[in-house]
Amino acid sequence: ESHTQYERVGADVTMKCGSMDWDAAVTWTANGTDIDESHLNGSYLILKNVDLSQSGQYSCYEGSSWHLKYQTNLRVGTPPKEPVLMCRSNNYPKGFYCSWHLPTPTYIPNSFNISVIHGTKDMVCEKDAVPKNRCHIRYLQLFSTVKYKVTLTVTNPLGKNFTTLTFDEFAIVKPDPPESVVAKPVPNNPRRLEVSWQNPSSWPDPESFPLKFFLRYRPLILDQWQHVELSDGTSHTITDAYAGKEYIIQVAAKDNDIGTWSDWSVAVHATPWTEEPKHLTTEAQITETTSASTSSFMAPPTTKICDKGAVVGSGAMAVCWTAGLVVAAYSVLFI
Amino acid sequence: MAAAESPSAALRRRDLCSRGIRLAGKMRADVVDLLDAYVEQQGLDASASVAAVEGVPLAAVERWDEQTGTQRLLENLAAYRAFRALLAQMLEEQREQLGEADAGLGRALAAVLLQVSAFAYHLEELLRLESRGIPGEEGDEEEDGPPPPPRLSLFEQKLRGLGVLRELAQWAVRSVRDLRQLAKPSPATGAASGLAESP
Repeated sequence: ESHTQYERVGADVTMKCGSMDWDAAVTWTANGTDIDESHLNGSYLILKNVDLSQSGQYSCYEGSSWHLKYQTNLRVGTPPKEPVLMCRSNNYPKGFYCSWHLPTPTYIPNSFNISVIHGTKDMVCEKDAVPKNRCHIRYLQLFSTVKYKVTLTVTNPLGKNFTTLTFDEFAIVKPDPPESVVAKPVPNNPRRLEVSWQNPSSWPDPESFPLKFFLRYRPLILDQWQHVELSDGTSHTITDAYAGKEYIIQVAAKDNDIGTWSDWSVAVHATPWTEEPKHLTTEAQITETTSASTSSFMAPPTTKICDKGAVVGSGAMAVCWTAGLVVAAYSVLFI
Repeated sequence: MAAAESPSAALRRRDLCSRGIRLAGKMRADVVDLLDAYVEQQGLDASASVAAVEGVPLAAVERWDEQTGTQRLLENLAAYRAFRALLAQMLEEQREQLGEADAGLGRALAAVLLQVSAFAYHLEELLRLESRGIPGEEGDEEEDGPPPPPRLSLFEQKLRGLGVLRELAQWAVRSVRDLRQLAKPSPATGAASGLAESP
């Protein structure tokens, strides 16, 4: 009969040829290839400091008759390191999901067990078929101040490990990014771009649980983003685009009241309408980078709107207001 | 089966709901700030678990989405009335403990208390709109009134205060959600989201 044997990387492994005596004459093979006698101690096979490449099928045959006396599948691996666990609600208020992975592979099969406790109550996290390392749970209560405690235990034949996450209902709310982001030029408007998007389809009830949005955009040739926070609506018109420049635009979403911002949506590109093919004189209009100081972080705590009206002359000047703090950026125009 | 709402009543309801949502939103922001100040001033650990204290209305609710409009209003009203009394008590305790030493915290507490009272009144308006009788307050029932709670130690008072403010912050979020449900136009058959007669 066949066995499976799990050993740690670096371990010394001794394999016995079933019930054969120590001094019996035997031949060992690894994956069908004869093993040199130097690895034998009598009829025992000795493998020192095993590594991953030594995993495989080991067979032992009686010397003269070539009867198969013993067979084992050697799997070299490691015990699990502490798993990485993440829980998130992208479908609030329906429920949340937890997903996990191991920071390094073990090279042998692992099993995961997850437990969720809400106060004193045990909850069942239903495992998803796909992806495998994920389970979901329905909220039985809403607006609870009692924290959830999720413990993930990973076990394999060489050991076990676990990690715990504790959080409250609001903290893990993070929608998926907005979908179907579209940016279009506006005819006869060289400085405008019309952006529209949709609520993420995973968000079950945007009417009762409205999302707010954060838009960021910049011309491809510059590094710094402009930001606009929008408390409702799924469209916005950019009115301070540099004429003729291709823009990159992204949108993020957040529940109006709780949780954190989604990841950025897929980026879309668009160029404002131009009357005729672009001439490269527009190069001269942009000599200094705009210095919107708040563009270094993703989600500002206060609304920040780039003032569309503050355009001076024919050049590129954008003024961004932040709750009373004025950050003015000037570009020098070359004629 | 509720009769179809008159257009003016529907408008008034939506107006009250949107104002209520703004009130609750502001209230929540102030409660969160107050919580931070409270934790710091009282020397508490922000992550301390506080066991549910008697008399503090819990925001946690099962089957929230199945509640009728009337249930939402009544539960909200009962909660904010309770918070009104609890905050008044906290303010009193605050004054006793510190006298004038911590006027800032006292002022913040008083400001939140004011908003809680205003919100409770706002809820009564919404109930009135639905020609619902407004339930009397607990204090009116002299014969069966609960005995005054035992005097808590200073530390117990502080923990209780933490519990009160935390639940109030949750309630403020819940109230916004409840009012949004209420603001939805109710179908003629008076389904769960509308202000149907309670069964």
